[in-house]
Amino acid sequence: MTDPDAPMDVLPGSLSVVRPAGSGANGGFETFIKITADGSVTAFNGHVDLGTGIRTALGQIVAEELDVSFARVVVVLGDTSVVPDQGATIASETIQITAVPLRNAAAQARHFLVAQAAQRLELAVEDLFIEDGLIRGRDNRSVSYGELISGETIRIDLKDDVPVKAVSAYGIVGQSVPRTDLPAKATGELVYVHDVRVPSMLHGRVVRPPYAGVDAGAFVGTSLIAVDKASVRDIPGLVAVVRIGDFIGVVAEREENAVKAAAQLKVSWKPTPTLPDLKDIETALRANPSTPRTLIDKGNVDAAIAAAAKPMPRTYIWPYQMHGSIGPSCAVADYREGAVRVWSGTQNPHILRADLALLLQRPEREIDVIRLEAAGCYGRNCADDVTADAVLLSRAVGRPVRVQLTREQEHAWEPKGTAQLMEVNGGLNADGSVAGYDFATRYPSNGAPTLALLLTGAVAPVPAVFEMGDRTAIPPYDYDAIRVVAHDMPPIVRASWFRGVSAPPNTFAHESYIDELATEAGVDPIEYRLRYLKDERAVDLVNAVAERAGWTPRPVRKEPAAEGDIVRGRGFAYALYVHSKFPGYGAAWSAWIADVAVNKTTGDVSVTRVVAGQDSGLMINPDGVRHQIHGNVIQSTSRALMEEVSFDRHAVTAREWGAYPIIKFPDVPRIDVLMLPRQDQPPLGVGESASVPSAAAIANAIFDATGVRFRELPFTPERILAGLRGAQGVAPAPMPLAPPQPPASTDRWKNPFAGRRGAVATAAALCVAVVGVASAVLPWRSIAPIARPDASTWSAATIARGQQLAALGDCAVCHTVANGAINAGGRAIETPFGIIYATNITPDVETGIGAWSYPAFERAMREGIHRDGRHLYPAFPYTHFAKTSDADLQALYAFLMAQPAVRAETPANTLAFPFNLRPLMAGWNALFHQSGAFQPDASQSATWNRGAYLVEGLGHCGACHSPRNALGAEKASAHLAGGFAEGWEAPPLTSLSHAPIPWSEDELYAYLRTGESRLHGVAAGPMAPVVKALAALPDQDIRAMAVYLTSFNDAAMDEPARHALGARLEKSTGARVVSASPVGARLYEGACAVCHAVGGAPLFGSRPSLALNSNLHSAVPDNLIQVILHGIAAPVSSDLGYMPAFKDSMNDAQIAELVTYLRRQFAPGKPVWTGVRAAVHLARHRISR
Amino acid sequence: MTQSTIRLTVNGRIHDIDAAADTALLYVLRNDLELNGPKYGCGLGECGACAVLIDGVAARACVIPIEGCVGRDIVTLEGLGSRCNPDPVQQAFIAEQAAQCGYCLNGMIISTKALLNRTPHPSEADVIEALRFNLCRCGAHIEIMRAAMRAAGHLVGAANR
Ligand code: FES
Ligand code: FES
Repeated sequence: MTDPDAPMDVLPGSLSVVRPAGSGANGGFETFIKITADGSVTAFNGHVDLGTGIRTALGQIVAEELDVSFARVVVVLGDTSVVPDQGATIASETIQITAVPLRNAAAQARHFLVAQAAQRLELAVEDLFIEDGLIRGRDNRSVSYGELISGETIRIDLKDDVPVKAVSAYGIVGQSVPRTDLPAKATGELVYVHDVRVPSMLHGRVVRPPYAGVDAGAFVGTSLIAVDKASVRDIPGLVAVVRIGDFIGVVAEREENAVKAAAQLKVSWKPTPTLPDLKDIETALRANPSTPRTLIDKGNVDAAIAAAAKPMPRTYIWPYQMHGSIGPSCAVADYREGAVRVWSGTQNPHILRADLALLLQRPEREIDVIRLEAAGCYGRNCADDVTADAVLLSRAVGRPVRVQLTREQEHAWEPKGTAQLMEVNGGLNADGSVAGYDFATRYPSNGAPTLALLLTGAVAPVPAVFEMGDRTAIPPYDYDAIRVVAHDMPPIVRASWFRGVSAPPNTFAHESYIDELATEAGVDPIEYRLRYLKDERAVDLVNAVAERAGWTPRPVRKEPAAEGDIVRGRGFAYALYVHSKFPGYGAAWSAWIADVAVNKTTGDVSVTRVVAGQDSGLMINPDGVRHQIHGNVIQSTSRALMEEVSFDRHAVTAREWGAYPIIKFPDVPRIDVLMLPRQDQPPLGVGESASVPSAAAIANAIFDATGVRFRELPFTPERILAGLRGAQGVAPAPMPLAPPQPPASTDRWKNPFAGRRGAVATAAALCVAVVGVASAVLPWRSIAPIARPDASTWSAATIARGQQLAALGDCAVCHTVANGAINAGGRAIETPFGIIYATNITPDVETGIGAWSYPAFERAMREGIHRDGRHLYPAFPYTHFAKTSDADLQALYAFLMAQPAVRAETPANTLAFPFNLRPLMAGWNALFHQSGAFQPDASQSATWNRGAYLVEGLGHCGACHSPRNALGAEKASAHLAGGFAEGWEAPPLTSLSHAPIPWSEDELYAYLRTGESRLHGVAAGPMAPVVKALAALPDQDIRAMAVYLTSFNDAAMDEPARHALGARLEKSTGARVVSASPVGARLYEGACAVCHAVGGAPLFGSRPSLALNSNLHSAVPDNLIQVILHGIAAPVSSDLGYMPAFKDSMNDAQIAELVTYLRRQFAPGKPVWTGVRAAVHLARHRISR
Repeated sequence: MTQSTIRLTVNGRIHDIDAAADTALLYVLRNDLELNGPKYGCGLGECGACAVLIDGVAARACVIPIEGCVGRDIVTLEGLGSRCNPDPVQQAFIAEQAAQCGYCLNGMIISTKALLNRTPHPSEADVIEALRFNLCRCGAHIEIMRAAMRAAGHLVGAANR
């Protein structure tokens, strides 16, 4: 503990209220209040502000008791070097419990100062009054706090029994003081922990093990096999790769390079053990070993239930949920011998300090935890984990390191709000009274040790059992025979407390059950509760809420009048949130009336309005309380409607907001807050109470609307539909599927220039092997090398023209590796026969084409033969290039020879036999190649012929867009009828096109010129660099290509008709298709809709419409899968915007769900794709662009 | 990616940045220019925490490489106004106490500003649509809506929405 006196003084002199520090703080003292001679007041509290505004409320309390203005008070929270150790900021303790000593300290200071003033002014204490720190008496005698303190260092010991102000005298507490932090937050001036920068700071990222979200079991900390440091050697500014047990981190000078290193680092892990099936929470929780702990056992429960007229055993299930901080956790650490500083967003600075001491094997006094604000976490998220990570990395590199967890890591590893199973055995007596209530709750524990302790082996990964399932486990109703048992059990996956801990699940059961009892008894549910509710403040609240909402008694459920598919209902629930160690304390009382609208066709539930009543006792800051109620209502509605962590059998699978959605603006209910005036009562915690009745109120409202009880969260459309169907015995109506379209004959689309050869080629293909052997002996000869010609040989105009032609031919697209020198080769091209590496076509004499004469170049371009006589493979599209005119080939040669020479050996191809035998290519050429130059078609326009020359020649569109036969030759009979390249489908350019709207000349032109066609989509994958390269061509050439390509399409539809069709398609696919994958629908809504939803708010870049996108209408899902996996990092132009890659955020199953959903939703007339999951797997593992 | 100097115009000032061309704008704003307004939230364009204005349109700085920002006008939360001299949108958010933790606030304010840039008099439905893909975990939605409506010049009624 450092002395807070020294550095903070402005004028000499101070008054502190202190108490001796507890253990671990090295015999010092803890300060609660400090007043300095300039009259300013600093208040210290061990809790932290989690975004709920307690900083402001604590300031109000101190200002009130000290009689100073609110503006004079600075509240310091959670810095271990100066604030008292008051444990973790949990439950609703801050105002109710932790604020008490602070209030006492402030009052004590006031008493002391007034006594001093009385002496100094020679007046009686009773004759003095205080105004903002100025103590005044009669005759204008006055002295300020500052003057009383000036020059002295006064320290008073905190007492427990201090007379504090009467509530009736309050002037600051009870007022809605604006929060002090908002102006800075709204202008980017507040420093969150994410914004800490210290001199010479480096950036770190961690690489987590594959057992994401699991923290108990012998494999934890012992699963790492190897880290290949060489795999990140090329990362600029990489400082270190750190490995300790299963802990891995990378450190770099720049953040983006740490990101790259973490993604690129090759790590091998042992296989991860299998988890229980968490899709079936009930079975998993029942199977988890537990110890019963009886909390109450009153009356003869067993006999009472046995005698019940109507037994009613019920089971309620709560899923795993996430804290879901909007900002993934972040920390900065500066490790030095004897002095370790960390900047952290922790909820529990002192506990974290002890963890760090254990991790580092250093005494606590050497460690200073500075707490800064972070994103609201509502429980324990990864804030402590990342602080420990940062400390380990800083220790390894000897410099300060900032570590930012990724969204995926925060989602996967944050200790989850745990699943819970509640069972009620009970029933009704014949008179409708409650026979008995036997309640059992199963809550897997939530210790969640700081991750680095486990990963490094500092703490054994043994699951610990805590007693946390008992919050509000005893219902608020006075049942005669009642037993409540908490089954304490170890965690199944990593879990920790989350707003309300076990109280919301327990209350979900209590409040659903009493609603069921009321229904069975034929009594209005509120009236029924009031029969058993003995607490007067509770009764007042329930009545007030019923009145505010205009509750009409409903002893018998009436079928509501349906409005189309919609039925409406309303439900009630009440809770007194009992928190902290059993039996605990009550926080604010809370009651809800929720109105819902249920769509019986889609299963969508919307909570339309909530009347939320609360009795909070004295409200320090009423606006603050109101905002807390709003926040609780919205967050808990989100939890009830849509929140559930998904798992596979090894780990958490929800790693972004599509897989774990939270509520969005359109779904936020109207909220009517009712705050009971109880300013004469002690203040109560308001941070969680209003969350507690949520799920039951909504479930009860859904029952009111539909007549079906839902006893498991969340109330997703699929769960509601299943429930409704179960109740009504109606099978889901299958969506009518359009029959698959019969494959059109591909012969319609003949290459207009391929007529001369068909029959011979087909026959010859049968004996290709023979031809191949024969051709191997044909006398091809090498063409002699030349000295590299000087660039000055050609005119600038020729070179410029050659540059355009190189662009048209996409030379650089294939002959350049990612981030490599232009045209220096080495790029791997995947073919069905193996991998071919593009060659170096820079004029380097030894490794490139520097020694090639023009005749050698021309022969290669026209006949596919290397200067040395070797055959080239037709991955090099000489079959197209052959059509190029002499003048153009010469210009191209000139351009290539005029470029800088780059020395770069081309790797050897890896082709399977017999394709590795180059001489066979001679036979191939005999079959499939015509080396003649382009011959115009006199019956067509000049523009058409120009387009044909460009498309069929250097443009070599057919190389990708025509299907190939078994020997890899383009099928002449299906010219441009669609092919494959590098894992992407090159869609048909003919009227075989899958596009829902036929291509027109203008759309083709727009696409080739800008990379985007409003009616078809944007160029991605291998097509993006093609369009980019075409930028070198003049508009009239692009137009000519469009004219030529349009001639393959049926051009029956005019421009207005195309756009009208587009609008129609967008509208008809706007409503959610019920039969489409609900998981896929959520992924779309969370990840895709922001940029793709029709009519969404504009964002930088284009907004490609999925209903019109050719890829969604194709026969194969490949392009859709590719673009989801890899995104669009290099669009044709930045105006189109960028698409992120989702390969590291979604697993194969999720992408398959998404792809299947998109097909169903946006191409409803097309057959469902099959084998999607396998296609995703394949695409993920092939060479990607 | 080859390292080159990339010129960005941020909040009216020109900066030459030495970073790879594919570096996300967000990292450069935060680390090179030390601007704290834009925040990292997901890196996938899903949450809106990183929002900035590019040529007056809302943009998600986590998914836009700096090479795509050359020659464009970038404005961050800091560029709108300061504590002493806040933009009317910032002023409206302060007046409505429109945050709990405030981590999402950058995106909310930037998205509202972008909306008002293109639609000076938006309806409530316009505001909801404009903020739809900005996530807030704290449930500050009601205050945020009120702030955005206030910024849009709508009279804001008493306590409850
Ligand atoms: S961080 Fe950019 S949208 Fe989430
Ligand atoms: S205020 Fe915390 S995320 Fe919105």
